Amino acid sequence: MTDILQYVWLGILAVFTGTPLFTVMGMGIPAAPVMVAAGLFTGIAVGATPGLAGPMAMAISLPILLSFFGFTPDALLPVFGFLIGIMKGSTVGGAVPAILFNMPGTPDSLMTTFDGHPMARAGQPRRALRIAQLSSVSGDTFSDIVLFVCAPFLAVVVEAYLDLPEKAALLILSISFIAAVIGGSVGKGLLSVSLGLIAAFVGTGQALSPRMTFGIDELSRGFSVVGAILGVLIIGETLTSLEDLWIHRKKARIDESLPDSVVDGLEKGDVRRILPHVLRSSVVGSVIGALPGVGSALAATLGYTIGKNYHAKRMKPGDAVFGAGAPEGIAATEAANSAVSGANLIPVLSLGIPGNAAAVFLILAADSIGGFNPGPQVFRFDTAQINPELVIAFGIFTLMSIGNILNWVIGGRFMRAMGILARIPLQYLLPVVLLVTMTAIYVQDTSLFALWVAFAFGIVGYVFRRCNIPVLPFVIALVLASPLEQTAREAFAATGGDPFFLFNSPTSTIFILAAVASVIFFARAAK
Amino acid sequence: MKPIKAHVVLGLGAVILAALAISLWLPNDSATGLMVRLRGRTQIGDALAPTAAFVIMAVSGLMLLFERSDQTLEGMGRSTGFLAVLVILFAVSLLLMRWTGPLAVTIAGFLGDVGHSYRELRATFPWKHLGFATGGTFMVASLISLVEGRFTAKAVLVGALTVLGLILVFDLPFSDLLLPPNGDV
Repeated sequence: MTDILQYVWLGILAVFTGTPLFTVMGMGIPAAPVMVAAGLFTGIAVGATPGLAGPMAMAISLPILLSFFGFTPDALLPVFGFLIGIMKGSTVGGAVPAILFNMPGTPDSLMTTFDGHPMARAGQPRRALRIAQLSSVSGDTFSDIVLFVCAPFLAVVVEAYLDLPEKAALLILSISFIAAVIGGSVGKGLLSVSLGLIAAFVGTGQALSPRMTFGIDELSRGFSVVGAILGVLIIGETLTSLEDLWIHRKKARIDESLPDSVVDGLEKGDVRRILPHVLRSSVVGSVIGALPGVGSALAATLGYTIGKNYHAKRMKPGDAVFGAGAPEGIAATEAANSAVSGANLIPVLSLGIPGNAAAVFLILAADSIGGFNPGPQVFRFDTAQINPELVIAFGIFTLMSIGNILNWVIGGRFMRAMGILARIPLQYLLPVVLLVTMTAIYVQDTSLFALWVAFAFGIVGYVFRRCNIPVLPFVIALVLASPLEQTAREAFAATGGDPFFLFNSPTSTIFILAAVASVIFFARAAK
Repeated sequence: MKPIKAHVVLGLGAVILAALAISLWLPNDSATGLMVRLRGRTQIGDALAPTAAFVIMAVSGLMLLFERSDQTLEGMGRSTGFLAVLVILFAVSLLLMRWTGPLAVTIAGFLGDVGHSYRELRATFPWKHLGFATGGTFMVASLISLVEGRFTAKAVLVGALTVLGLILVFDLPFSDLLLPPNGDV
């Protein structure tokens, strides 16, 4: 216990005594907390802008952050701080256009429109926004506490009981589960995974000559992971949205006919009214978030549906029903979708397995900077000297807590000011996003070939979206391919070349059977 | 004639691609096979992981073939056309980025203004921004025009302002960062 408290303290110290960003009256202001605040405000603005999303902002800002803070371990906490700030801010910000303009800023805030917009139309936009903020931040904070407790515990168990074959089997289980659970078709999920793995294997390997390059020199170092991910996630989305706009040739209509406010702001009894929904949805979101690949949109749907059933049974005369401006509806959705973000980091920090796009960028940041490799080995409390990775992990927890405090205190005010961003026409925004993304890729890779590669992956992302193939399994397979191959090689060698190394312990056998079972189960469920 | 189902095309494509890769591509484009014997020990070869990935692709293809879905290939021609236009606009943008600077230096050389190559001038204002400014503005303005179906000065202005913003973010504060195309020339 003393060890844990010591690391908690060291994590806090690392955040507040790190490299100063600037000096005020002779006092150095540490970079990490400032970057959390900057990321949070950026994230709220991004979430409030329909067409943009948190991962998009994380992708674009990563090269800038790396350029600014460099590639030393001192850069880890400021860079993580900004990315975590974006992650937190964008979940809150998504409610703004949903409530004010009936346009979900992020896919997971679709259900916020059901009750948030009717409340705004009834003259209470500030009340709707305040309820959304309170619920969202509560869900996020709850989820972070779950993360702080579960991630170290899970990592210690994994490190103590899982050897190389079991770790390889666990990676296979994670990838299979993600392929099976995302999207409506297991076949398409597996196709996405296979393409991600293949893309990652090009130009790599252990032999002297690189594999799968068709003799093209530029491919001999493989595809840039950042370029490929940005291509599929950001450029693919941009191309798809551009085509949608091109087809419809109309600007997204914004409903600006909100009436003048009646008595607005939180009403007496609102907090007591939404509390059970916030708690229930926080649990739902945290459980969903802890599963790799299961997104916040599902959490929001589940939270809303469960909340709706509960409300229908217990509502009093005069209470608004779900879908007609019920504060409980906003709370049930916002708490659930925000509770995903913290719990999503459980598999990242404890297993090194990203569960969503935001987590992918945290892993990319860690890979680029070095000095911190998310995974079970981070949580080693019993080392003879201070474990620097563990200090960083507790530094990350501190950054998340700072983000929550800022979100509680000033997030709401900033959120209300961001309504104006929903008015930016998408046909202007998307080409700008494309150029910014391309510039960010070039700054990192300094090669026009990298831009072509990113654009080609963008076309892959476009085709995925048009064919309803989920993109996330591709991205996660791309990130996990190298660790999976490396772990399998080491496990094979460690078992003396046993071809059945994945089945030589009950745990790894269970993992592999679970991987197969998840594919079969979800394939049957989809029919 | 019945419309072709998208999942059948996708499934068949995946199975055929996987079969070709496993039988032709991987054996000829990997230095080691599925297994390799090095210093008396059997190790996993470079072809094993990609082969496993293509096996997953084949399995996914078979699953797709037996899937029930009503999605057809309707609209594919329109999408292909739109993609082709996007590729052309992107290519023109990159060409402008790559060659505007060197071309301007060559023209200036003919006029007797500079005695250097673009490579020597790529870190100096205004030469270093010429390619990025023209290519970037073209990229943004042409895409806006494509979507709106008309060319407007506003589209060019949005492109120019975006370029200016990116120069302010990347180039002004960081002397070690290179905007396109200055890392390639």
